[in-house]
Amino acid sequence: MNHLPQAWGRPRDDVYGAYDSSHLQTSGPNQHTQSPVVTGTSVVAVKFKDGVVIAADNLASYGSLARFTDVKRLRRFNSQVVVGFGGDVSDMQYLDRLLNSLDIRENYSSASDSPLHAKNLHTYLSKVMYKRRSDFNPLWNHLLVAGLDGEQKPFLASADLLGTTFASSTLATGFGAHLAQPILRRTVPDEDSVQKVTKEQAVELVKECMKVLFYRDARSMDKYSIAVVTKEGVDLKEDEKLEKQSWAFAEGIRGYGTQIN
Amino acid sequence: MTSIGTGYDLSNSVFSPDGRNFQVEYAVKAVENGGTAIGIRCKDGVVLALEKLITSKLLKHGANKRIATVDRNMGVVSSGLLPDGRHFVSRARDEAAEWRRFYKAPIPTSALANRMGSYVQVYTLYSSVRPFGVTSIVGGWDPESELPVDGQVGSGPSVGAGGKTEGAQHGGPFLYMIEPSGLYWGYYGAATGKGRQSAKSELEKLDLAAGNLTLEEGVKEAARIIYVAHEDSKDKDFELEMTWVSSLDGPTKGRHEEVPKELREEAERLAKKALEGDDDETDDKMEE
Amino acid sequence: MASVFSGAPPMSGPGYSFKQTPTVASSGNREHSFYPYTDNGGSTLGISGADFTILAGDTRSTSGYNINTRYAPKLFKIGSEGPDGAGARIVLSVVGFAADGDALKERLDTIVKMYKYQHGKPMSVAACAQRLSHILYNKRFFPYYVHAILGGLDEEGRGALYSYDPVGSYEREQCRAAGAAASLIMPFLDNQVNLKNQYMPGSGVGHALEQRVPEPLPKKDVEELVRDAFTSAVERHIEVGDGLQMMIITKDGIQETFNKLKED
Repeated sequence: MNHLPQAWGRPRDDVYGAYDSSHLQTSGPNQHTQSPVVTGTSVVAVKFKDGVVIAADNLASYGSLARFTDVKRLRRFNSQVVVGFGGDVSDMQYLDRLLNSLDIRENYSSASDSPLHAKNLHTYLSKVMYKRRSDFNPLWNHLLVAGLDGEQKPFLASADLLGTTFASSTLATGFGAHLAQPILRRTVPDEDSVQKVTKEQAVELVKECMKVLFYRDARSMDKYSIAVVTKEGVDLKEDEKLEKQSWAFAEGIRGYGTQIN
Repeated sequence: MTSIGTGYDLSNSVFSPDGRNFQVEYAVKAVENGGTAIGIRCKDGVVLALEKLITSKLLKHGANKRIATVDRNMGVVSSGLLPDGRHFVSRARDEAAEWRRFYKAPIPTSALANRMGSYVQVYTLYSSVRPFGVTSIVGGWDPESELPVDGQVGSGPSVGAGGKTEGAQHGGPFLYMIEPSGLYWGYYGAATGKGRQSAKSELEKLDLAAGNLTLEEGVKEAARIIYVAHEDSKDKDFELEMTWVSSLDGPTKGRHEEVPKELREEAERLAKKALEGDDDETDDKMEE
Repeated sequence: MASVFSGAPPMSGPGYSFKQTPTVASSGNREHSFYPYTDNGGSTLGISGADFTILAGDTRSTSGYNINTRYAPKLFKIGSEGPDGAGARIVLSVVGFAADGDALKERLDTIVKMYKYQHGKPMSVAACAQRLSHILYNKRFFPYYVHAILGGLDEEGRGALYSYDPVGSYEREQCRAAGAAASLIMPFLDNQVNLKNQYMPGSGVGHALEQRVPEPLPKKDVEELVRDAFTSAVERHIEVGDGLQMMIITKDGIQETFNKLKED
């Protein structure tokens, strides 16, 4: 060790060459997220007559690497709202903390006589997302907010990194928008058909979508979380496994591993 | 009072020759006039109770709650100047939020008491400020199980110790009382305000250090003690306000909440009955 | 949202192949790769008459080839007295980037409400129209990416219709189509509302032909024109469809209707 504290703990210049300090920004510009790093894939959700079912798998990918396999991407906000997150995991964690502090502050003022419902939370989150995109510092997520609105009716809406919002009887983010939406819309094409769908049917439908997504989405896995929100509260299961898989369809497809070439 | 006319009581930053800060002592006087507030540390939770004196018939019954929540798992009740109490709570909430931003976990009750003790103490140092006119009781339940840190999404490695000590005990019920001087201690049972003397002697009878009192018994005792403490100012109307916090598998699931109406009314009924019993006894004695 | 899940590896993270792993830190300026806009498709149109104005828009919201939802209204009552839109006399339609559209709607709505609270009278359409222009112009260096159309009744009770570009340039018109199918609907409106390329039969030949003079159309005819415009646009544009929302502003208030369009 020499007498220069600045040099301690640094690679020796005579061995490794001059230290590249370019990453140690002093007066450079603030850096914002330009692209997501660790990502979650699809979230799917569907309304039924008494509530909403929402699901997302437990995988967080780092590019093509399946990096974390026990990541919970559904967050229960209170007894009537669940938020599902797709996209960047660290931004999801930031939003999680934001919701946590919101919940604590909300309990200070209004006790429990009028808890924030799904519609309130969606409005809040979409304004957060829009503000951040307007600052060119987006939260790289696509969110689904599932739960009950102020009249205790099923509520399902989406907000993305641009602050775009929309609501529908069925919603899916990411790959799910391509693969799951058509399946969901077959059973629940419009708002009227929501009344004809039972909880059991909705759960079955969402599980079917998770299976199709696992078959076709390379950034997905067979462990997932699923939540059912009704007046009775939130039933959140975070360690479900896909059932009744059938890879028969893969027989004739090149690239699924059954053929040599 | 020896302080009067000496000039040593006019400024906060001046000691009297015999080493007293009279401004702090005057603040204690303000507390001594407030409604009685107590806290009981039971084996499975903490109860906070307050004798809320009715200052006007025009106030809505049951409104204007005085026991406040800090974070999710702690409660604060204070006696003395109400606005000082509200500022105290506001600061406590800021401290709890700041702790979370820093450590991504809820603040332990002991740490909050420490932070608030330091905060209150600062108000005894400068001539530009006056001390807090409240004594505050802070009660909380620190989680016994390992809670996920804020924003945690996974559960970590499924094999190995994961850096955890096996069999280590965490959390539990905690109770602290912070005085205008900034002095604070942890208590089994704490009382402040007008009826603190009788409340304290009632609390001492409970043998709280043994750790046998359950939360539900604690609620009933708390109600009774507030009613006993009210005996000296019987001419004034009051409302009983009670909150509690239990373990994660207790009735409040680790959250600080108001005691449910049914249980509170039951406790009040028993408290009144106990007082009537006392009266009967004394009547009997007098007859004898 | 295609930009969230592009399927490509993180820009500065490891690539699919180890060969792609960067070995040296990138130097120089990095370009912003976040694009803050998207196009949510859909179309709107407005036509003003002698004593009414009609605004209409389809309710489909799209992201590329995906349909986000079949019901996302593009018409908003401005300056109403409650959440159900009672008491409003002005309607704003926005098409383009829906998030900007919603933000713009909320800003204009609060401004018109505040005007009423402060002055004790509702804002005139002309004043509202100019205010909207200012809002858009103020954000001209980071514009609200929308084509707005504002409708109401002017001080004389005639139908008033204003159309805008994203940076606040505006004019009062008889009719205007905006959005994805604007280029399909506008020529139709030119011909049917302003009677462009319609001449008096037998009035002459070549340049001597006499142009038919446009007159304000009756409400019933305009409603039919709107329906025809949209059913036709749905046939020829993939981003238009699902539902047709119409708002008819008369001295009696705003009448809102909804009709199904093809969902293909």
